[in-house]
Amino acid sequence: MIRAALIGNPNVGKTEIFNRLTGLSQNVGNFPGVTVEKKAGRLVHREQEIEVVDLPGTYSLTAHAVDELVARDYIVLERPDVIVDIVDGTNLERNLYLTMLLLEMDANLVVDLNRWDMVAARGTKIDVEKLSELLGCPVVPTVAITGKGLEDLKNSIVDIAGKKAARGRRAAQNYGNDLEQLISKVEEIIKEIPELTSKYPERWLAIKMLEGDESVMEQARASLSSSQLAKILCIIEAGEAAIK
Amino acid sequence: MSILKRLDELVPGQGGRIASISPCGNLRRRLMEMGLVIGSELMVIRVAPAGDPVEVLLRGYSLALRKNEAKQLILEVDAA
Repeated sequence: MIRAALIGNPNVGKTEIFNRLTGLSQNVGNFPGVTVEKKAGRLVHREQEIEVVDLPGTYSLTAHAVDELVARDYIVLERPDVIVDIVDGTNLERNLYLTMLLLEMDANLVVDLNRWDMVAARGTKIDVEKLSELLGCPVVPTVAITGKGLEDLKNSIVDIAGKKAARGRRAAQNYGNDLEQLISKVEEIIKEIPELTSKYPERWLAIKMLEGDESVMEQARASLSSSQLAKILCIIEAGEAAIK
Repeated sequence: MSILKRLDELVPGQGGRIASISPCGNLRRRLMEMGLVIGSELMVIRVAPAGDPVEVLLRGYSLALRKNEAKQLILEVDAA
């Protein structure tokens, strides 16, 4: 069985896509934050059973809001086979922020470019192939309300589930020399700890530690020896002093 | 020549580039996540009575801000 999770900014048509995929017909309101609890459904495509989980709509994945933390913990700890990032095609710039965060988490990503009809109606042109090349993951245009593109989306989910995280070719945000040096120093320490590397993407964990993310620190602390923890804190402190 | 103005001092149709964002912590992070970063351009679309909230256009979408959030955003505005 393939485990897929849907994520995206609020009001991008995520619940509609969920209903289209799983054949549920729930009432879909237009209020922000419609999705507050975990909803799951199933479908069969090309003889593959797919379980789809609808995650809360979010702009970001910090530890400061409950819904964001729910979504993040699900992706990091449950490791679904495929993450479908639903993007509002008419609002690419804001939506791709979440996409970059997901790529940073080493998620096995499919980008669903929704509201494709509106993109055309506005006279905007999006080069889907180029976007897919730049992001390093499949990009599928859809129109959730008519169901257009949904077959392509299902195909992409099944296709990419088989190729788990083709790392390396993915787009990654470069934070500039100063920060990149700190990130690799912390990453080196993390790489020595199998308990952490089996659970978290190393680069992501290093970035979160440098951000001072309490939730991640708390979860990782148990796996760190006191000297490793001290080393990491030392790198963070020195880095902060240097940047100021 | 450009001058510095607080976002809540602008009228609809006026806009500028963000020069500084004074809140720190969660509010700052939130604003930045929504695309309000130093250097980004925005324009005021409309202002509710009493100036709260303020609707701005940035990066091709509109965003409503509370007055006390708008007060904390300093913009570089081209002096006409």
